[in-house]
Amino acid sequence: MKLRIVLYALLAIAAILLPLVAPPIVNNMILRIGSLVMLAISWNLAANAGLISLGHSAFWGLGSYAALLVANKLGWPFFASLVPAMIVGAVSAAAIAVITGRLKGIFFAIAMLALSEGLRVVAVMTPDFTGGGAGVFVDQALRPTTETVAMVTALCAVACAAIAYLISLTPFHYACRAMRNNESASEMLGINPLRFRIAVLSLSGAMASLAGGVNIWYSGFLDPMIGFDLHVTILAQIAPILGGIHTLAGPIIGAFATIGLSEATRTLLGEQGVSLLVYGLILVFSILYMPKGIVGTWNTWVQYRSRGAVGAKVGTTKAAPL
Amino acid sequence: MSLFWQCIVDSLLLGGLYSLMSIGLSLGFGVTRIINFAHGEMIMFGAYGAYFASVLLGVDPLLSLPLVSIVVAVTAAVLFKALIEKVLNAPHINQILLLFGLSLALQNVAAILWTGDARSVATPYSLTAYEFDLLLVPHGRIIAFIVAAILIVALFCWLRFSELGRATRAVAENGQAATLMGINVSRMYMLSFGINAALGAATGAISSFLLTITPFMGFHMLVKAFAIVVLGGLGSVAGTIIGAFALAFAETWVSYYVPEGNGWAEGVAFIVLLFVLIIRPKGILGQAVAVH
Repeated sequence: MKLRIVLYALLAIAAILLPLVAPPIVNNMILRIGSLVMLAISWNLAANAGLISLGHSAFWGLGSYAALLVANKLGWPFFASLVPAMIVGAVSAAAIAVITGRLKGIFFAIAMLALSEGLRVVAVMTPDFTGGGAGVFVDQALRPTTETVAMVTALCAVACAAIAYLISLTPFHYACRAMRNNESASEMLGINPLRFRIAVLSLSGAMASLAGGVNIWYSGFLDPMIGFDLHVTILAQIAPILGGIHTLAGPIIGAFATIGLSEATRTLLGEQGVSLLVYGLILVFSILYMPKGIVGTWNTWVQYRSRGAVGAKVGTTKAAPL
Repeated sequence: MSLFWQCIVDSLLLGGLYSLMSIGLSLGFGVTRIINFAHGEMIMFGAYGAYFASVLLGVDPLLSLPLVSIVVAVTAAVLFKALIEKVLNAPHINQILLLFGLSLALQNVAAILWTGDARSVATPYSLTAYEFDLLLVPHGRIIAFIVAAILIVALFCWLRFSELGRATRAVAENGQAATLMGINVSRMYMLSFGINAALGAATGAISSFLLTITPFMGFHMLVKAFAIVVLGGLGSVAGTIIGAFALAFAETWVSYYVPEGNGWAEGVAFIVLLFVLIIRPKGILGQAVAVH
């Protein structure tokens, strides 16, 4: 176990330092995968507590706009701008948690969908503040090098994964799981669902906003269609579903797999519509035939193998920790 | 003063279209307890069906409407059997994500087949209007309203008087009791999903000469339909109609009386939705629908 953690830590450090030596195309991949890892972990955290978000682009967009506005209007540099990005994400997520109150499932999903669409309309309609539909560029003088942005993305992704891991060690994790399975029962055990919902959603919102905030420094341009893009919402849910929902490794593996698939379809088939079509089909088929994702399917297979080799040791086979 | 009356007339006409747009979604939820995230795509396919019937065959959208609705309904029933039926008893997250994925796939099938170009159907009545003093009432909107009203009345009659309609209501009320009464519940699910799709396609056919048709038109209409259904009360068909007119009034009012209102009107649905969720989550006529 110890060895495993050391191995993961080494991998993480390698990922953070890789941008220093990598060519631009690799940095681009690090950026995309790192951002998606953050989004996926963030989405999965909310899903762990039974909150299915269909509007993660809301947090992403809020984070992007927060980082962009403090940079352009107040002259804040790269690192400083990420703090308001996270705060905006966390606060708006907490507000959504309070607003949706006891409503879970469908209502929460619809509320998030409406939130991200509504924010897009607001961003278009307030051009004095956000630059409106025409969009705005980040102040060029403040922009760090691509290597720096890629390193910070990798660092943030690792931090999100570490936070998700630490949470999985605490009772918080079990409280969320209890809420997901049966909220009334969890209440009887002394869990205050509202408080947990606020906590988990704030954390989730902060992570997604951080991803958006970092990304804006790489692309250098933002308009409402980019900020509150449905694409972000779709990616944020596909990665954990494909990798393995409600697991630790799932969102990370899913992020790599999703970006890999998107690159493969783009080089093989070209058109933009095709990759979105593939995403849609992945969602449908994952839910129908692989609802536990890559990680879940792998675990089942490993258990099946070990059982087959040693004989019927059903009683002693423990569920894998991941 | 004429602006006021114009606003009233426009809201009423828009309300008819919105009622038809969301009533299928509401009925489908009432029976299957699944929110059809692909409802917008039913509308979109209906609109494309009417468009191609008009362009290739020269058939008026009003004439092609029944055929288009039937084709979309049958396709939807097949999709229901093949995909959605498998998640009827699965956790909510699976249902939501499956339908979301289906919606995404359908949208992009349309985008690949027919490109993202905006289209619209030109009919003799789409550019003409009645004029009373300063009041302008476009013919196309009146026709759309009448068609919507006929279909909604037909739906109500079907639900109230026909054998299948009563069975549908029985399933919506209590699926297990309906099974004990000898109703084939899974067939009723498929039927109500098909009707839900047919109503969506009919909405698409009549919007084909009112709005621009794109592969992505469904998503915006879906979010509006959500706002209407939640406002009226999930699962209440009568509440849906009240919700539709309420949203139509709110949107028209904003676009007439708020500066730069046309842009803000697009956001009204989301604000309504969030407010309803805060103040009265069960909507105007919400029955005691179990909140999952």
